[in-house]
Amino acid sequence: MDYLQNTKTGNGGYRDKGEKVWSRLLGSSARYTRVLARLLLFMILLRLLLPAPILVTIGPQQTVYSDYPITGVHTRLTDEVEEWKIKRTLELVREMGSPWIVEFFPWAYYQGSDGDIAWQHPDQVVNHAHAQGLTIIARLGLTPDWARPPDTPLTYLDEDAYEDFAAFAAAFAARYEGKVDYLVIGNEPNLSYEWGYRPTTAEDYVNLLKVVYPAVKEANPEMQILAGALAPTLEPDGSPWGLNDLQYLTEMYEAGAAPFFDGLAVHAYGLTFPAEADPDPNILNFRRIELVRDVMVVAGDGDKSIFVTETGWNDHPRWTMAVRPGQRIQYTLDALRYAEENWPFVEMMALWAFRYPASTKSYMDYFTLVTPEFVTKPIYDAIKEYTGNGG
Amino acid sequence: MVAENRKTNFHSSLFSAGTRISLLIFIILALLFLTGCGRKDDTWQRIQKEGVLRVGLDPTFPPFEVTADSDVIGLDADLARALADEMGLQAEFVYFGYDGLYDALATEQVDFLISALVIVPGRMRDFAYSEPYFNAGEILVIPSGSTIDEMAGLSGKRLAVELGAQGHVEATQWAKRLPDLQVLPYPSADEALDAVAAGEADAALVDGVSGRLYLKERSNLDLERVSQTVTVEPYAMVVRIEDETLLAKLDEALSSLTATGELDILIERWLGP
Repeated sequence: MDYLQNTKTGNGGYRDKGEKVWSRLLGSSARYTRVLARLLLFMILLRLLLPAPILVTIGPQQTVYSDYPITGVHTRLTDEVEEWKIKRTLELVREMGSPWIVEFFPWAYYQGSDGDIAWQHPDQVVNHAHAQGLTIIARLGLTPDWARPPDTPLTYLDEDAYEDFAAFAAAFAARYEGKVDYLVIGNEPNLSYEWGYRPTTAEDYVNLLKVVYPAVKEANPEMQILAGALAPTLEPDGSPWGLNDLQYLTEMYEAGAAPFFDGLAVHAYGLTFPAEADPDPNILNFRRIELVRDVMVVAGDGDKSIFVTETGWNDHPRWTMAVRPGQRIQYTLDALRYAEENWPFVEMMALWAFRYPASTKSYMDYFTLVTPEFVTKPIYDAIKEYTGNGG
Repeated sequence: MVAENRKTNFHSSLFSAGTRISLLIFIILALLFLTGCGRKDDTWQRIQKEGVLRVGLDPTFPPFEVTADSDVIGLDADLARALADEMGLQAEFVYFGYDGLYDALATEQVDFLISALVIVPGRMRDFAYSEPYFNAGEILVIPSGSTIDEMAGLSGKRLAVELGAQGHVEATQWAKRLPDLQVLPYPSADEALDAVAAGEADAALVDGVSGRLYLKERSNLDLERVSQTVTVEPYAMVVRIEDETLLAKLDEALSSLTATGELDILIERWLGP
């Protein structure tokens, strides 16, 4: 009778069959209980074997000491999972005498299609950096898949999603009021790769600024919006790869960009040239910054500051754009000194890059100041000495 | 009665337990088969058919690969030719920029890469590495007859390094363990080695390639290298991940060249003893 009821009434029949399978596997209910108890005990023992989580506290408020307050670094904490490593990285930045960090906060990593934003990781980075006394320049970018057409790359952001991006930027600005003072909108928009593998136009980017700027200012009037982070490149008009940064900036002003940013972010790599090599529109070197500045002055925007959010030299043994390690140290110190003494319009210079979470086993490793294992390189020690933090 | 009914019902269901297990195994095997179908290990077949091994390299890194008189020479070039010989094939070199080597391999413009490439764990999803054929790790260079045979023996000694280079990083770490170790940075590896030759330093810690080349070119100097490297930086050949047969053939040929001593002869020809 029981059997008939169980097997002839809908899902009950399947449940009954399932019980029989379990019964075959485990035998009687007493045996079932014993197995469960042992499993539970095993899991408890396994849990006890796990090391206790590392306690990481924010710690007391610190102050950065630096003889050269222009010094900054671009950290790479976006992919750093462990909180103690985030804290240790930022402690080393402070100890080196760098009052500034530039850090990337990818929109795509944080906001789901339901609109919720996962703040845990950015909270860790911002709170630890703030506690170390560092001024944070936050770079925002990368579009979540729900905000872009199918089969487009993360760097693809079109006008349909400008409002969504602006809303995220505004939420970010509001949340970190008093802790983050600068936002960089996008990254190297004059490169096709950074513009979703599309032809890049200054007008498109300025349209983005026009949407983001008022939204952020409404959320946090103190937040400074930095435009650009233009990539140094000589690509001519019509190139599929990008557009010359000087031309792009000129076209930004022609498109009415000036009222929609408070400062200009610039990337300036020295490549194989010494820091003081003369600027030339036809070559890429560190003092190209002066040519960028000229464009700003011509556009009547000379009162705004430049923030060099990526700079530095590379000492890979094989990369064609690299120099010897000793040259890298010398050129870097020369660059900091030159900027401090000659460029009142430059607020800060961030060296790319402070440390990666893991080795890339490529020339990129040779841009860093600290290894993934937190071993400081001689260039770190040289900068630390230079900023008055040696000994 | 009830138990009997249940048993009957169990066996009379759409599939018996045995059938279901068979079906499950079939599905798993089918999935494994289909997954394998995405990538074919057929490069070796084509190589055998054509008798040509297409080798990708960046000929700008002496003494491993550099162009000379419209040909490529160097340790990697010689090794590639020797491997091809061992396999009864002809080596054909295709040049790429250093940054484009892996892309060239991925897009099947070459069969494998040999270009003083270090093993990159992050690339192992798409590529596979051969057994290493050279260790470019940091080496200690010492005056002939010196008793120094490891870093731990440098207590109280003067160690020359290239300013900012990996050897400098390594030496600085050792200086924390050996408080009496004096680290002397020089602008280049050659100048650090010159310091040992001049008696200004008791040893130099430099990368394996620079150190060996220096010794090879200045064989008149009374210097030698400690045979055990201080760090390990293995160079290996690279194939596409699906080319298991080619990888096995390359490893087999490399193993043969190692066993006959030919690999050591090639290394010695380009980098000295």
